[in-house]
Amino acid sequence: MGISNYQMSSVISLLPEVGLLVLAGVVLTMDVLLKDDRKHLIAVTTAVGSLLIILAALMYSQPSGDLIWGGMVRDDMLAFVFRLAFIFAGGITAMFSIGSKELAHRGDYYAIMLGAVIGMCFMASAADLIMLYLAIETTGIAGYLLAGYVRTDDRSAEAGLKYFLFGAATSAVMLYGFSLLYGLTGETNLGAIAPILASGTVSVSAICAIVVLILVGVGFKIAIVPFHFWAPDVYEGAPSPVTGFISTASKTAGFAVLLRVFIYGLAASEYWLPAMAGLAAVTMTFGNLVALAQTNIKRLLAYSSVAHAGYVLVAFVAYSELGVASAIFYLIAYVVTNLAAFGVVIVFAHTAGTDDIQQYAGMSRRSPYLALAMLVAFLSLAGMPPLAGFFAKFYVFAAAVKADMIWLAFVGVLNAIVGLYYYLVVLKVVYVSPAPDGVGSIDIPATCKIALVVLSLGIILIGTASSPWFNWAMKAAQDLF
Amino acid sequence: MAHEWIFIGIILLFGTIFAAVPLVVNTIVAPKKPNVLKNETYECGMETVGDTWIQFKVQYYIFSLVFVIFDVEIVFLFPWAVAYKQLPFFAVVEGVIFIVILAGGLLYAWRKGALDWV
Amino acid sequence: MTASQIFFLLFASATLVAAYLVVTVRNLIHAALWLVASLLGIASIFVLLDASFMATVEIVLYIGAIAILIVFAVMLTRRVMEDVGPQRTNTWWFGAILAILFFASASTLIWLTQWPTLPEGDVGNTVLILGKSLVDPSKYVVPFEIASVLLIVALIGSIAVALPSKQSE
Repeated sequence: MGISNYQMSSVISLLPEVGLLVLAGVVLTMDVLLKDDRKHLIAVTTAVGSLLIILAALMYSQPSGDLIWGGMVRDDMLAFVFRLAFIFAGGITAMFSIGSKELAHRGDYYAIMLGAVIGMCFMASAADLIMLYLAIETTGIAGYLLAGYVRTDDRSAEAGLKYFLFGAATSAVMLYGFSLLYGLTGETNLGAIAPILASGTVSVSAICAIVVLILVGVGFKIAIVPFHFWAPDVYEGAPSPVTGFISTASKTAGFAVLLRVFIYGLAASEYWLPAMAGLAAVTMTFGNLVALAQTNIKRLLAYSSVAHAGYVLVAFVAYSELGVASAIFYLIAYVVTNLAAFGVVIVFAHTAGTDDIQQYAGMSRRSPYLALAMLVAFLSLAGMPPLAGFFAKFYVFAAAVKADMIWLAFVGVLNAIVGLYYYLVVLKVVYVSPAPDGVGSIDIPATCKIALVVLSLGIILIGTASSPWFNWAMKAAQDLF
Repeated sequence: MAHEWIFIGIILLFGTIFAAVPLVVNTIVAPKKPNVLKNETYECGMETVGDTWIQFKVQYYIFSLVFVIFDVEIVFLFPWAVAYKQLPFFAVVEGVIFIVILAGGLLYAWRKGALDWV
Repeated sequence: MTASQIFFLLFASATLVAAYLVVTVRNLIHAALWLVASLLGIASIFVLLDASFMATVEIVLYIGAIAILIVFAVMLTRRVMEDVGPQRTNTWWFGAILAILFFASASTLIWLTQWPTLPEGDVGNTVLILGKSLVDPSKYVVPFEIASVLLIVALIGSIAVALPSKQSE
């Protein structure tokens, strides 16, 4: 049987995933063949490979917007943007992993991370419940393993186990929702489900039940209140590069699923929109208020990431092209910014061996450049102009106002002020407090240095020249409506 | 299709009965005169030492983990093998890719020493 | 009541009793064996649903591999064979209320819903159909390949987590 042109283009659209799989194979081979003192090359290979995959995808796999592979995958701009973001996050995480003594020389770690990236790519592009569930599980199982990777550290093991238990329970609940959806509509394809739900043959109570069940699983992935319980403990216990990866890529993948399933599949929005607006307000407020009390930087970033999920939900409940575009823009900005923040945490812990915020005192004297990267990242998280975070928040609140959700935008702005406070408190410790006696300068591994420079430039670039990025997000958003 | 399973049900039922009857009859008709020596684990032979609940080697666990993975692979490959003769070339290649990916995993496990029984 | 309904009630109640015993018996090996019984009950429900392949998968995979894995995992532990802690947490009532609420709403929903029914008639050799659609590019080939990625991630991860490191020995 000859392979038709149609199939060729389908294969090419999966180029990034195939590339990741090949890269994982190369990484595993290197892990087996290389001597221990040369294993840092594995991280470099992962990062360079990710970069090459991104370039190849940009050149050859421009999305066609079609359902391909029997409707399993939708090759649209939305998926494309998210997939590039995941591969980028994977490559950056590999570079930061050099800064972690326990992870730097373990090739299997990089292979599992690449497996997680493959899962996330399919989470973003899946248009079928079967495909979607497999992708979520691939990401999830890789995530549980990564969180518990440092076996000698009890906290890492605890983080892995906790993440696993919460993840298994919530994904089972979500699977039940999927099965109800299939049982009621007789379809697994999201595009085919939407018209059946819209036709009114399925009862309202059934749709509500399905929405709640699926929201449990997705809510766990994006760590919104009340499904956030795992986040602080897992973020604190997991090795820092993994935390950075889970808090950015995994969360963004969850949002990709949320956008795809709720807007494309469960398009009957009147059932879930008010509830989502409430969740957004509660999530923002809870995350920011609890973050105020944190003394550990990873826990602080955990709660702040809960709050950021709330901001994205605001854009989501605006339920318009502008809303989805601002959600995508926010997520891209968040991935870059939060990776930079965790990069600083990794580099600092590499020398200082602690995540306690008080120990950050006087970091600006110990390493001015690291402090500068931290300044850029935290100010962007706080939403200060002209950085990426500012425009992200600006677009989100603008979308909420345009959708007549002024109260939600108001809650969001209040929350941004609370957020600004605790980010500035950390920066005050870094810049104003005197360094404790007897601490030297901070050693930054070369790959971490490159990654931090790339991310800082990215934060500034997305902020100062936001319109091309936003146009990209707008194009992606148009695929959903 | 369910009727095919009735035979299996009958076999299960009768198998249980055949196994249970001798045991039950034994406990009813056998004379019971226990003493200390008879209650030993091995009435004639080694003295037993320590607890019967001992800690097993971790290799048992790793082997069964690897076994689970390949058991799942079999579940996927079985329908593929059933349909094999009716598949187009492209579909056969898909199955081969599946096997190659997992064979790579097996190779990795072997080189990593996960299959060593030390 | 038809024969298959009687069988269903029989198997379902056996499954539930076994599942209850899994979480209540204190000996971990016994719990694992009750899990086998519970999984066997699920396999028989698959049989009643005319899903022979799924029933076989349930037995081969869950009983043949996963339950054995659990038994091995229990045997790895040294002294926790008997669970001596309390069987309930302090907030068990909250969990119970939540579970009852969930059960009540799910069963009401299932009761009230007009379920679409499958067309009558023999669909043919299901395993053959499954085999064809698993590798059909216009059906499930991408999930099929992703399943292998999932499996290999699990394989690498389980080796990384369970294999004792060389330094420690």
